[in-house]
Amino acid sequence: MAEERELQIHPIMQESMQHNARIVSNIRALTASLFGVAAGTLGLESFPGFLFYLFGTLIISLLIYAFRAEGKPNMYFYKPLADLWMGDLFGGLMSFVLTWTLFYGLVKA
Amino acid sequence: MAGPIEQQIHRDPALFYWILLPITVVMILTGILRHYLSTLLQTTPKKQALLKMREQRHLMRARNMIINHAQISKAAFNKRKEWFADKVKEGTLLESGPDGKAKGKPNPLSDPAMMDGMMGMMKGQMVMMVPQSLIMGWINAFFSGYVIMKLPFPLTPQFKQMLQAGVGTRDLDVRWVSSLSWYFLTLFGLQPVYNFILGSNNAASQVAQQMQMQQQGNPMAGAEDMEKIFAAEVENLEVVEHWYVLDGVEDRLLAKFASSI
Amino acid sequence: MISPTLLQPPAHLSPSACIQISQQAPAFLQSHTRTVLPYPLSVFSSGETQEIWQAYETLLLACLRTGDDKSASQCLERLVERFGEKNERVQALRGLYDEATAQDEAALQKVLEGYEETLKEQPTNMPIRKRRIALLQSMERPTDAMTALVGLLDTSPTDAEAWSELADLYLAQGSYSQAIYCLEEVLLVTPNAWNVHARLAEVLYLSSTASDSPGNALKGLSESMRRFCRSIELCNDYLRGYYGLKLTTTHLLDTLSKVPSKPATATSDPVFGELAPPSLASIQRLNELATAKLAEIVRRNTAGEKGWDGYEMAEVIAARELLDRDTLSIQR
Repeated sequence: MAEERELQIHPIMQESMQHNARIVSNIRALTASLFGVAAGTLGLESFPGFLFYLFGTLIISLLIYAFRAEGKPNMYFYKPLADLWMGDLFGGLMSFVLTWTLFYGLVKA
Repeated sequence: MAGPIEQQIHRDPALFYWILLPITVVMILTGILRHYLSTLLQTTPKKQALLKMREQRHLMRARNMIINHAQISKAAFNKRKEWFADKVKEGTLLESGPDGKAKGKPNPLSDPAMMDGMMGMMKGQMVMMVPQSLIMGWINAFFSGYVIMKLPFPLTPQFKQMLQAGVGTRDLDVRWVSSLSWYFLTLFGLQPVYNFILGSNNAASQVAQQMQMQQQGNPMAGAEDMEKIFAAEVENLEVVEHWYVLDGVEDRLLAKFASSI
Repeated sequence: MISPTLLQPPAHLSPSACIQISQQAPAFLQSHTRTVLPYPLSVFSSGETQEIWQAYETLLLACLRTGDDKSASQCLERLVERFGEKNERVQALRGLYDEATAQDEAALQKVLEGYEETLKEQPTNMPIRKRRIALLQSMERPTDAMTALVGLLDTSPTDAEAWSELADLYLAQGSYSQAIYCLEEVLLVTPNAWNVHARLAEVLYLSSTASDSPGNALKGLSESMRRFCRSIELCNDYLRGYYGLKLTTTHLLDTLSKVPSKPATATSDPVFGELAPPSLASIQRLNELATAKLAEIVRRNTAGEKGWDGYEMAEVIAARELLDRDTLSIQR
């Protein structure tokens, strides 16, 4: 209730939120595919591979935080923990697995 | 001993060029095709009759009142609340007028508006499912009977059934999969690519498919009794705990600008 | 190619932008002659974007405003060609064109009858309904326009544009409480529109100055001041909001110093709301805030600083005049 009231007093623009979320999602998808290429070429297997992905996403989130959000995530995201740091992990994971499998197969053969 | 020993199978590199790439290209193209197909198949929204529109918009106004009640004073809100309650009691807001109150729920199969809603839903689902089944059939016809690659990560044995569909051996590690698994991988993994190519509003992404399932509830609601819906809104209006956005606005404003005065 | 001003909603165009656009009209029309490829190829490239039709509409309105009827009729022809005669929006634009080029009262009457014909067949044709109301207003039949508008609002009570038009009509007539009701309806639809909050505040101010009982006047003034505060809360550098805030706070300080007894508690009044009047201290601080902010806006805008040049010239001049009123009274 208090949050609802807070939103009425200081409203959030839906369009801007969606735009920001879209940008984060695009960045994640692109970098996830690149990480997949790297993991596949390096020949990483199951656990190290996923660890590599998580580590890479963390670095990307840090970069977004530092360069795009200018260190003030509250200005750009309503719930920065959910949107900036953990935003669209699943979609990124899928791209990662796709390119990882592809390049792993290419390199190993 | 099977199991812990690394199973090595040497494969012809040409496999990749002849199988993985074609499947990927086909998936991307069908995604784009699906998007354009669903855009073209969308029916233009039908014009609504005057009374139906009036009924719906009065309902929307009541809902706006509940959501945005803070913008107007309590007295203004109460005035509107009483007006709405009176009108609903008289029944003048209904499409069929005050006499049609006792008609009750229309039959889902005979109501034309409902039929349109259901057709739209079915069309959407067809566009999703037909290409998928076609491609699965094509892959099973042309690309079955052999493993194509090794997954970098292990899976549970249940997946063996699905991913090693045509292969005869039983002891093969789950990580060796057939081309069908590549199909599944691309099905999930190409969504960001669709977002790139088609803009984020595309009809090819999986998420949209799941949301269509949720919207199933929507056209069904049209069949319900509008009278009951109106009565429910009157009750919601009664329950509202009114607060006024102008209450304390000057203090908030002064606090915000305290530094710059 | 298509300048950004062409894509702005037509009502927002300043007169100078309007003239500029209409001067470029012939060149624009020449460069965009439509060549439709034969059917198979037209699937791939239609040669049109969504924006170009918005540009045509804006161009049409700009040309009508500056009197360039020839270009306007060309724009209209292209719109009809693309969207068909039966399209509601195109019908409204054609009606607008006919009204603008009508020579005398009789021609206007004919256009009005044309609208009523169309509405008999299609009562849900909203653009034509609105055009009819606008025509009635320009034919100086405000009561008919008001009745028609009320009818439209009965069918479509969530139409914010129609409610604000009705508010304007009531205001012109002087029925303040009804105008306030209409503006509140607009707020129910668009709760965060700071310009509507400012407009409501202005109407409240007008009604409070016109009312005869001092209690009501005070209530109206404080309500108006709070509405201005809300509009500033939503839009931090809103010149109109600060102007109104300064005006109302000065007036309030004046009134409160004259009225010895302070009406303390909240009452419930259907027009003026029911919050207790604000404390003297906060009124004074708000006055200082408004003055400081207005001075900053005027100063930075006239110095031409980057980021401060979006204000309208007329508004900045009015703000400066308000500030000068203060200094004049001090000098006295």
